[in-house]
Amino acid sequence: MLPAMTSHSIDLDTLRHGARLAGFSWSDAELEEIRPQVEAALRLLRALEAIPVGDVEPTTHYRTV
Amino acid sequence: MADLFWASMTELAGLIATKAVSPVEVVRVHLDRIAAHDEGLRSYVTICADGAMATAREAEAALMAGRPLGPLHGVPYGLKDLYDTAGIATTGGSKIFADRVPSTDATVTRRLADAGAILLGKLNMVEFAYGPEGLNPHYGHARNPWDAATHRLTGGSSSGSGAAVAAGLAPGALGSDTGGSIRIPASLCGITGLKPTYGRVSRAGVLPLAWSMDHVGPMTRTVADAAVMLTAMAGYDPADASSSVLPVPDYRGALTGDVKGLRIGLLRGFFLDGATSKVRDAVEAAARTLASAGAVVDEVSLAQVTNASAASLAIVGSEALAYHAETLRARAADYDPEVARRLRVAAFVGGAHYVRAQQVRALIRQDVDAALARRDVLLAPTTPIVAPALDERQVTLGDGPSAVRAALIRFTQPFNLSGHPACSVPCGFTAGGLPVGMQFVGRPFDEATVLRAADAFQRLTDFHARRPVLA
Repeated sequence: MLPAMTSHSIDLDTLRHGARLAGFSWSDAELEEIRPQVEAALRLLRALEAIPVGDVEPTTHYRTV
Repeated sequence: MADLFWASMTELAGLIATKAVSPVEVVRVHLDRIAAHDEGLRSYVTICADGAMATAREAEAALMAGRPLGPLHGVPYGLKDLYDTAGIATTGGSKIFADRVPSTDATVTRRLADAGAILLGKLNMVEFAYGPEGLNPHYGHARNPWDAATHRLTGGSSSGSGAAVAAGLAPGALGSDTGGSIRIPASLCGITGLKPTYGRVSRAGVLPLAWSMDHVGPMTRTVADAAVMLTAMAGYDPADASSSVLPVPDYRGALTGDVKGLRIGLLRGFFLDGATSKVRDAVEAAARTLASAGAVVDEVSLAQVTNASAASLAIVGSEALAYHAETLRARAADYDPEVARRLRVAAFVGGAHYVRAQQVRALIRQDVDAALARRDVLLAPTTPIVAPALDERQVTLGDGPSAVRAALIRFTQPFNLSGHPACSVPCGFTAGGLPVGMQFVGRPFDEATVLRAADAFQRLTDFHARRPVLA
């Protein structure tokens, strides 16, 4: 199961935490600047979670031969 | 020949081989054209005037000595500035790489040189190929040559390639395509752009945006030229782990001009219904033209493509951030702010989402494969809109409002996810003189049929032969 995302809105603390986990130490101003785009991305990722993928294996490469 | 800068690569190769013109003359004509018009168009980042003239003189000497000639002997071209070129800066459209001078050529750069092609220069692009509008704050925004009065987008990320080829500043160029970056500028600039099958052309020595989505390919004024360039570029390369060992056919030889019995699936739903009416009308008219020439056209929809933008966000964002993380930590202020923002957002995509996106990608591929099981090619608009003005942010599509950026990549990114070959050609013009593009999509590694269909369309129409009047 994917980690559940219960809301599309995201507060500054969560942004700080997420950035830190990813290895970045961005300023609050930098994080505030991307907040709308992060929220939009979360909406798309939420949609991704909802797609029934069954037992299809993830693509890693096109079959090249 | 008058206006040599409008000659196709195929015509130039013929004129040179028969000694009707010298490679030196051909290169000089193009350098003069660049000098006259590129200050306004901003299509080149680096112009290799001395190197091009020296190579042209060598090509002329080889010709006069009767030495064997490659298929592109003496024919000039331009390279999007993310292909490594030995001794010539390769910036990726970024000031971070402004002084980056590779010591070796990209595989395709070398293969085109082996075919006799002469490098005119390195072409403008969106920084690190991360964006479809064609904007670049470091080297200037390339300008669409089809509107002398209004600054319109070229589309991107291969913005300079689109503008230069459309304006006669190069007869052909290479672009790269991660979400549509060859086909979008081809559509907006009224030229031909081919994204080959993933694995058909080596990516070795090409700066990556997203390794699993990046494709490299030609941008030309005719399909025949794209076929010649692809034949020279394609084929197995041990330096690229995703490169296919399948043999390379003679793509030019596949251009029979015949579409009798060719089964074409016109993509309805997400594609045609999502386009603006002028784009939809042009593509439907093109389908009728092909049908009148004997093609068998039916309509088909792809159910999974509505998930392409979510899958693409997770995959392209994650792979791009993986490549840029270290530089983003050290030199964030040196990035185009828009590119830095996209990279930062990608930090919030988790590993599980990346894998889920790869599963969705498999579904999209299955969907396209199923549509092609009973058809030879699919046909769809390349972009739902024609070239927007520089300051335009929102557009109204056939199914509602959309940001320009999302609109530009909507019809192209599904085939980066699926890996299928796709070729964009002009299929009409608006009343205001802006080109409309459509794309043929084919089975994996069947570029020959894609090119055959696209070339046949160009033999039936003259949209590809129209020329912009430059400012």
